[in-house]
Amino acid sequence: MDTLITTLSAITPDRIWGIDIPNYFWFTGSSAAAFIISSFAHVFGMEKYKPIAGFSLLMALVLLIAAPLNLIDDLSQPGRLANFFLYGWENFPTSPMKWGVLLLMAYPILIFFEALVLYRPYFVKKMNFNKGIKRKIYSLLSLGRTQLNSEETAKDHRYGFILGSIGIPLALCVHGYTGYILGAVHGNYLWSTPLMPILFLASAMVSGTGLLIILIPIFQKFFTTQRRVDKSIIAELAKLLAWFIVIDLTIRALWLSFAIPFGNEPKNYLLEFFTMHFNITVYIEYILCLIIPMIIGFSKLRHNLPLVFITGIVVAMGVWLFRWSTVIGGQTIPRSMPGFLEYSPHMIGQGSITAIIANWLFFIALVCLVTSLFPWDEEMEEHYNEKGLNHE
Amino acid sequence: MDESKRNFIKGGLASLFVASTSANAFSLKNPGRDKKDSRYIGDKTKHYAMVIDLRQCIGCQSCTSACMVENNVPQNQNRTSVTEMELGEFPDVRKAFLPQLCNHCDDPACVPVCPTGATFKREDGIVVVDSEICWGCGYCANACPYDKRFMNKETKVMDKCTFCAHRVDEGLLPACVETCVGGARIFGDLNDKTSEVSKLLSNYPTTVLKSEQGTKPQVFYIGLDGRMEEVLNATANLDDIMRKEIGIKEHEWATMKGEE
Ligand code: SF4
Ligand code: SF4
Ligand code: SF4
Repeated sequence: MDTLITTLSAITPDRIWGIDIPNYFWFTGSSAAAFIISSFAHVFGMEKYKPIAGFSLLMALVLLIAAPLNLIDDLSQPGRLANFFLYGWENFPTSPMKWGVLLLMAYPILIFFEALVLYRPYFVKKMNFNKGIKRKIYSLLSLGRTQLNSEETAKDHRYGFILGSIGIPLALCVHGYTGYILGAVHGNYLWSTPLMPILFLASAMVSGTGLLIILIPIFQKFFTTQRRVDKSIIAELAKLLAWFIVIDLTIRALWLSFAIPFGNEPKNYLLEFFTMHFNITVYIEYILCLIIPMIIGFSKLRHNLPLVFITGIVVAMGVWLFRWSTVIGGQTIPRSMPGFLEYSPHMIGQGSITAIIANWLFFIALVCLVTSLFPWDEEMEEHYNEKGLNHE
Repeated sequence: MDESKRNFIKGGLASLFVASTSANAFSLKNPGRDKKDSRYIGDKTKHYAMVIDLRQCIGCQSCTSACMVENNVPQNQNRTSVTEMELGEFPDVRKAFLPQLCNHCDDPACVPVCPTGATFKREDGIVVVDSEICWGCGYCANACPYDKRFMNKETKVMDKCTFCAHRVDEGLLPACVETCVGGARIFGDLNDKTSEVSKLLSNYPTTVLKSEQGTKPQVFYIGLDGRMEEVLNATANLDDIMRKEIGIKEHEWATMKGEE
């Protein structure tokens, strides 16, 4: 029996990362996943993803523009943003946060250019139909390459392929580095594992696919000319989702088994931590948000559109919960003072629930803006017409 | 628009302007160290450390108070504190005190992660934060395995014990050492073999907190009861439970209730 230690007086430690951070991780992760799904078509030439490749790429862009705002909101001195660029380069090799901001800048620029290349034929067509300022804008968006011959189209493909190929490792880094940020913190027993980056990537693939399963039917139904949902692509995504869940579950199993049964000193902390959160972790995070969606994705149920749509919502929320229980949960584990901590985000101001809602609204506004600028619907329609899928 | 947002916009624009007009502003380290300002470099010939002799500590908290006054630490935040515990079960109990402060680790976890270089180790071993540079990302606070950093709620930058570097540079002792009633805190230069800290370290067995973290703390304890580190087996903080009882507003982060 352990000695009883009664703490009479101590200082409750000041922990630092609140609700902004899991939200940020969710956004960058989902962006990376959306990008990779779009690359299935652009880089790996998988025909079945062609109709949604452009749309996924746009989602990757929008998610990644919204994401860093969470970080800025979490800073206690947001006015000193420039200090990041001016100082501290000696820590470049050892501070994943330092790499991260550079990645956060490079990646959306790359996606933006890839989208421009991808939609160039549509911009050129639009340009030819319009006059004056609109014509100027479209000519600008086509980057001055206004020919539509087969030579230029071949160029488009090549550029798209190159950008996509650079983009894949970049997308993996953009989200992988967030796992590094946590994994590098050896003082935190929950975070400190080299599996963290890959664990984050795996769950990101789950949330990103989930998000596409939510958005694509909505956009196909309400914002395209054919006004119908392509059930086959949704079923395809559901199956893809199931595979991503398999990978996610495998890595989580490795993580937890090494940390708890085979771990050393920290294992008691982690055991206590998971015992405390047993119900939420097992029933909600694992069974409801991963295992059931996996079963749906692998079975005939994936052809049931409403069910798959709900599955998309459930997995996306499940991954958010996982981000939350990792980032916040990790910080609740005691280090120097007795007792687990408890975090309750405040309602308004910096790092609050309102700030998160504002970020989501901003994301939705961006989705509207970007989808109205880029002719993703024409692209989809063209694909469906070619394949004669419009009348399935 | 709240103040911080306004400052953000103003500050951001201003610093972008400064950055683009002066190439000198781009620094690998930070301006203080680039200029070799002695407050940033410290005394190269020295290596400061502290020994805390727990046999002498009486839990009077005068170190805690002296630190607050000397360093203008905001209310309810602490650079140093003395945890008070009871070890064992009635009737076999013993009172124990654990004075804690930044360990000025030789291989600090907080320094390499800092993306702005605001946190760094001086050449005399003192780990400090440049409050002009810190942008408040909090990475260092999460990296410190000892929970010895906090976001100062008034200055809005990272804060922690500096071994009273401003006093040490003047040849004075840190405020907590100066004031320690029991003579439990001993401060000095490890490079000087005749200093009291060197002698204590060579004559007594000493321990550091969480040596397994590999940070090589420079705050050494004499007579540390290993049980005090087993915080998992401890009761929740009675202060927090009391605060809850008498209905004081809860913090955003509080000790979990009912975890006895
Ligand atoms: S105790 Fe924490 S804050 Fe102090 S030097 Fe070590 S790691 Fe850094
Ligand atoms: S909070 Fe300040 S000192 Fe700490 S890592 Fe961030 S910039 Fe560096
Ligand atoms: S002043 Fe000295 S004796 Fe008093 S609590 Fe602090 S370390 Fe202990």
